[in-house]
Amino acid sequence: MRRPWFYILLSLAERDRHGLGIMRDVLELTEGEFRLWPVMLYGSLEELREQGWIRALEAPPADADDASARKKWFRITPNGRRALAAEVVRMGETVRVAQRRLAHSGTST
Amino acid sequence: MNRSALRLYRLLLRLLPSDLYRAHGAEMAELFEGELAAARARGPGPALITCLIAIWDLIRCAPREHLRRRRHRRPRERTMQTVLADVRFALRTFTRQKGATALILLTLTLAVAANGAVFTLLDGLFFRPFPFPSPERLVHVNERAPRWNLEYVGINYPDFHVWREHTTSFEAMALVQPTNVNISDGVTAERVRGAFVTHDFAATLGVRPVLGRTFTAEEDRPNPPEVVVIGYGLWQTRFGGARDVIGRSFRVNSEPHEIIGVLPPQATFPGEVALWLPAGGDPAQAWQSYAYDGVARLKPGVTLAQAEQDLLQAHASIFAERDTGRVVTPFVIPLRDRFVADFRVMGGALGAAVVLVLLVACANVASAMLARAVFRQREMGIRMAIGASGRRLTRQLLTESLVLAAIAGVAGTVLGVWGVRALVASAEGVLPLWVRLDGTVRAALFGVSVVLGTAVLFGLFPSLQARRVDLRSALSSGARTSGSVPQRRMLDALVIVEVMLAAVLLVAGGLLVRGYDRLLDVSPGFQLDGIASFGVVLPEARYPDGPAQAALYNRVLERLRAIPGVESAAAITCPPLTCHWGSFLEAEGGAPPRRDEPDPVTLVRVATGDYFRSVGTPLVHGRFYTDAEGDTVGYRPIVVNEGFARRFWPGEANPVGRRVKFRGDTTNQWFTVLGVTRDERHYGLHEPPRPGIYTSLRSWGGTSSMRFVARTSGDPEVLFAGMRRVVAELDPELPVYQVQTMRRALDRSLAPRRLVVTALALFGAIALVLAVTGVYAVVSYVVGRRRHELGIRMALGAQRGQVLRLVVGHGLRLVAVGLVLGVPAALGAAKRLSSLLEGVSEQDVATYASVIVLLTLTGVAAAMLPARRAANAAPIAAVNEEG
Repeated sequence: MRRPWFYILLSLAERDRHGLGIMRDVLELTEGEFRLWPVMLYGSLEELREQGWIRALEAPPADADDASARKKWFRITPNGRRALAAEVVRMGETVRVAQRRLAHSGTST
Repeated sequence: MNRSALRLYRLLLRLLPSDLYRAHGAEMAELFEGELAAARARGPGPALITCLIAIWDLIRCAPREHLRRRRHRRPRERTMQTVLADVRFALRTFTRQKGATALILLTLTLAVAANGAVFTLLDGLFFRPFPFPSPERLVHVNERAPRWNLEYVGINYPDFHVWREHTTSFEAMALVQPTNVNISDGVTAERVRGAFVTHDFAATLGVRPVLGRTFTAEEDRPNPPEVVVIGYGLWQTRFGGARDVIGRSFRVNSEPHEIIGVLPPQATFPGEVALWLPAGGDPAQAWQSYAYDGVARLKPGVTLAQAEQDLLQAHASIFAERDTGRVVTPFVIPLRDRFVADFRVMGGALGAAVVLVLLVACANVASAMLARAVFRQREMGIRMAIGASGRRLTRQLLTESLVLAAIAGVAGTVLGVWGVRALVASAEGVLPLWVRLDGTVRAALFGVSVVLGTAVLFGLFPSLQARRVDLRSALSSGARTSGSVPQRRMLDALVIVEVMLAAVLLVAGGLLVRGYDRLLDVSPGFQLDGIASFGVVLPEARYPDGPAQAALYNRVLERLRAIPGVESAAAITCPPLTCHWGSFLEAEGGAPPRRDEPDPVTLVRVATGDYFRSVGTPLVHGRFYTDAEGDTVGYRPIVVNEGFARRFWPGEANPVGRRVKFRGDTTNQWFTVLGVTRDERHYGLHEPPRPGIYTSLRSWGGTSSMRFVARTSGDPEVLFAGMRRVVAELDPELPVYQVQTMRRALDRSLAPRRLVVTALALFGAIALVLAVTGVYAVVSYVVGRRRHELGIRMALGAQRGQVLRLVVGHGLRLVAVGLVLGVPAALGAAKRLSSLLEGVSEQDVATYASVIVLLTLTGVAAAMLPARRAANAAPIAAVNEEG
């Protein structure tokens, strides 16, 4: 899974967000290490929507303030959650495999 | 900076796919604005970096977004690959349906070839402008004399002189008289076509010499100076294009002439003219022959009618003074009409016929494609069902049509060019000399555009049909039995049209063939086989008088007779099918013709006594003269033809002993009729004979132009070499011209007629084949669709004969309707051909009956094939097949 997709899904997994919210959340989540720039952000959102992993909300949530109520809000779909979970499992698997190899090879070097 | 950066970013966002921009453009800009504002707070450096990164983000992601969308939409192959795939598929389809494809290709090819060839011919004759500036203002001026039975008398110089002085409608007016001249450089002699022209001929045509000048008015006076303007061709071949040719001397008719100018390449009018000599006419000399052709250039805006009115006004003084009988009247016609009048009917017939052939071919191809498309409905249905778009199917079908059309277009063009070559070869000496049949590129374009048009037409129709296909019915295998009525009606209509047009073409072709046959049965009044002839013209310089000329002629004859195989040789000024020299005579004691009486010209020939025996002229009364008989003073015998005898002594059985003299001859030199011959078709089998006389060389005095005829029992062409040698031995500077056989001359005179007859017979045959295959295609189609039904009928006890009748009956009905429509159309068409029918009635019952029988029988035969197939099929198989 491409990195922007992963973080967007991760961000939306917590709660519904709009574009700017996702960007800020991802920045915070990665401790300022991964910043989603506008075209990459919205391009990825469109792709994810086409993929059926997120959907755009008809109306902003009731608790949204005026500024953010004018924006488009997104929500992760059950398919999106499954894809994200699968990806996390795959990543964990990858990490485990890598660590095992590195642990063994580490002794030889 | 803030605002301008934002504006720039907004602008750049436009590079994104429109849907992305529309959905999120505003938010993206807003986001960027927030980022930029935050960065600015940290200083100009971070702000700049933010801008750069944002732009980098845009530039990096935009292509990806575009590509993704392209991939996501309906998978669109690269166009070129699709086209190639379509072409490959088309070719595969064709090889699967060999018969149908070959048929379509053949018909299209023939139609394109016929169109190309005929169009080239018509273009050369009727449409290609003369190669001169403002050719539309060039007109032909001539005089007509209905009383003399002459449509084109020619112009006499004094008349022209009056017109030139007293008309105002013409920018320039000139006379031209093509003539054959002997040219030599002292070593080799050659006979070329030249022309006597008045000094304003160049101005009339609008040509400028490429070197030197053309004649001045001073040079165009009686007894003109020995000057010549040579043509471009002569300049190249004789002088190698040397620029210092002006002022050189050059022998024309044995007289040295000074070259004063060189003409541009296109100035060969009225055809193959290699040099110009000054006409040097004398307006004061009273009796002059009508020898010239007139060419004039109208002033801009002047109409033909105005010009003719102007000319008649100028001519009034001539009516008042010289021609009080108002016999000869001038007229103006478009320049082209002078030459193409004889080809009008022919060209019209050919053009119309070839269009009909093309229509039949198109109808045939359309019906074949239509039938094919209906059979392929299932295939189309499947392709639509698995997701082919309507546009894609249309493209596929159009590609098939275009591939067919391209093959046929190329093949037809090649065949057409080849046909034009054959045409040129067969029409040598028949078409006007200025006609250039090199419009093959235009003809090819024409042919290809016709084919492309046809392809688009018949390619689109089935594809539209395919797009309307009801998928379910197309896919269910029972679909074949449900023939859609409009489709079948369309097919029927196409075949009916084919039969109708074929009937028209067959009738026209049949009538023309019968007319031509009848023409060939006409007795020419002279022998055609075993006779060769050639001409010589003696230069005045070395053969100044009668005795000198006669001496040479006699020596030539002596030597000709000595050639092995020559049975007889003779000399005559104008043998049949060559030239014409006419004059007016009057009978002794006969009244001159009244003003309202026709006064036809008499054909006058000077011939040696052996002539009659040599060409086998049939004698009716009296006897032929011998060379010993006759004198320029005293007894002068002539032989006349029956037409002449009828004209001057109507009702008199035997005019031998009667006397005639030339009209206006005040010295009363009488010619005595010694014998009467049958009329001879001097101008060709299709032209009526004229009254004519023969007189001996001794009676006539002298003539500088003579033709020789020799008869052999074998092939006359073997005499050609000997004939040339005889003359070369006697006078090496004397060129021999128009060496030919009588048979060949006759063939040539019949060539235009033969061309039309052959072409129409061929077109008729093509149309017949097309119509018959059309009937076959439709009946096969109907049988294919009704197999299920026919199988059930037979299973239920229908007899084989009943099935045959049912199927053949359908084909026969189409033929019948086609004939009902075609016969009246043919009657209408035949009326326009009447001038080519040589006495065969345009309602000739035998022809119409043959065409009806032919089309009916072939139609039945064509329908029988699929009908038998249907009747022979095991009924149960047909029923099961559709399960």
